[in-house]
Amino acid sequence: MDLLDNYKKAWNNQPEDAHKVSSLEIYKMAQSKSSSIVKWIFIIGIAEFVFLNSLYFLSDRDEVLKTYEKLELVNFMFFSGILGYIILFFFLAKFYQNYKRISATASTKVLMNNILKTRKTVRNYVIFNLGYVAIVTIVVSIASIKMEFEILNTKKLLLIGFIILIATVLILGLLWLFYQLLYGILLKKLNRNYKELSKLDCTN
Amino acid sequence: MQKDLETKFLSEFEQNQNIAHKICRVYTTNQSAHNDLFQEITIQLWKNYPKFRGDSKFSTWMYRVALNTAISLYRKSTKTIKTQDIGEIAYKIKATDYDNTEEVQLKALYKAIHKLNDIDKALIFLYLEDKPYKEISETLGISSVNARVKMNRAKDKLKNILKP
Repeated sequence: MDLLDNYKKAWNNQPEDAHKVSSLEIYKMAQSKSSSIVKWIFIIGIAEFVFLNSLYFLSDRDEVLKTYEKLELVNFMFFSGILGYIILFFFLAKFYQNYKRISATASTKVLMNNILKTRKTVRNYVIFNLGYVAIVTIVVSIASIKMEFEILNTKKLLLIGFIILIATVLILGLLWLFYQLLYGILLKKLNRNYKELSKLDCTN
Repeated sequence: MQKDLETKFLSEFEQNQNIAHKICRVYTTNQSAHNDLFQEITIQLWKNYPKFRGDSKFSTWMYRVALNTAISLYRKSTKTIKTQDIGEIAYKIKATDYDNTEEVQLKALYKAIHKLNDIDKALIFLYLEDKPYKEISETLGISSVNARVKMNRAKDKLKNILKP
């Protein structure tokens, strides 16, 4: 008898792998989509944060501070800035948490839930960013108008108010478009995964 | 992939997953590498399933795709030197189900297989799985005669390693 035949017997009697993979796990592996999408949301969130902050450090801060002093807004900008950072860090932590959770889940129900949670986080994040920009713009505008209030007549005041309104809406619109592009595509993919998962859940 | 096709694929794969696990054991020496290869095999099977026409058994097709995935992945990673932690290849064998000699033999067998090159690993694996030469040649894309010649060489190499 061949030497290898002995080993063949041992080979045939080897146990099956202890970690049996379920069809859902197979599906998730084959797709490997949801977790990578959520990972991208996390990475883009951080990249955006780093980019915007480096813009801030590149700008002439003395100049900016002088403007704020003139407008009597130093305190407002300081505290709103701190609050903004706290909330931003909160969202980044949330993004990370979502990513961790999605890579570790095993059941369809939990995975679907996590996808919904991630979508909600991103939506809140975008709303927060837009709201923050809107509030800062409005406050700065009102402060500027207040300073020049005596020199301006009603007609000019209305015109300036109108221009500021248009500019704000334009900026917000652009920002919204930017976010739509940045996160919208990822969320759409995530939504498609969600639909596929819900179909899969029905057949199981 | 279409819905019914997906469902069919998932259930077929679930039933035949042990093929993929065994290939992972042949080509990798630790659990995380095992899992990586397993996932890569899953992705390749999933991608190629729509092209699978069912003119062979699912398992036969799976041997082909999975082995070729392992071989091509192994080729890419040969540049990085791998440390072998053989100790992990005990694979949670239940001592009660198997007598000790078989367990020792199996360990020695894996240890020896890990010393072979990527193609020899595939050949020996198919031999151990009792595949006929026709299927082996189709799986590896070589002629039947060539498969026979290569197989004998691979077996000789393995025997040399196994001999004390």
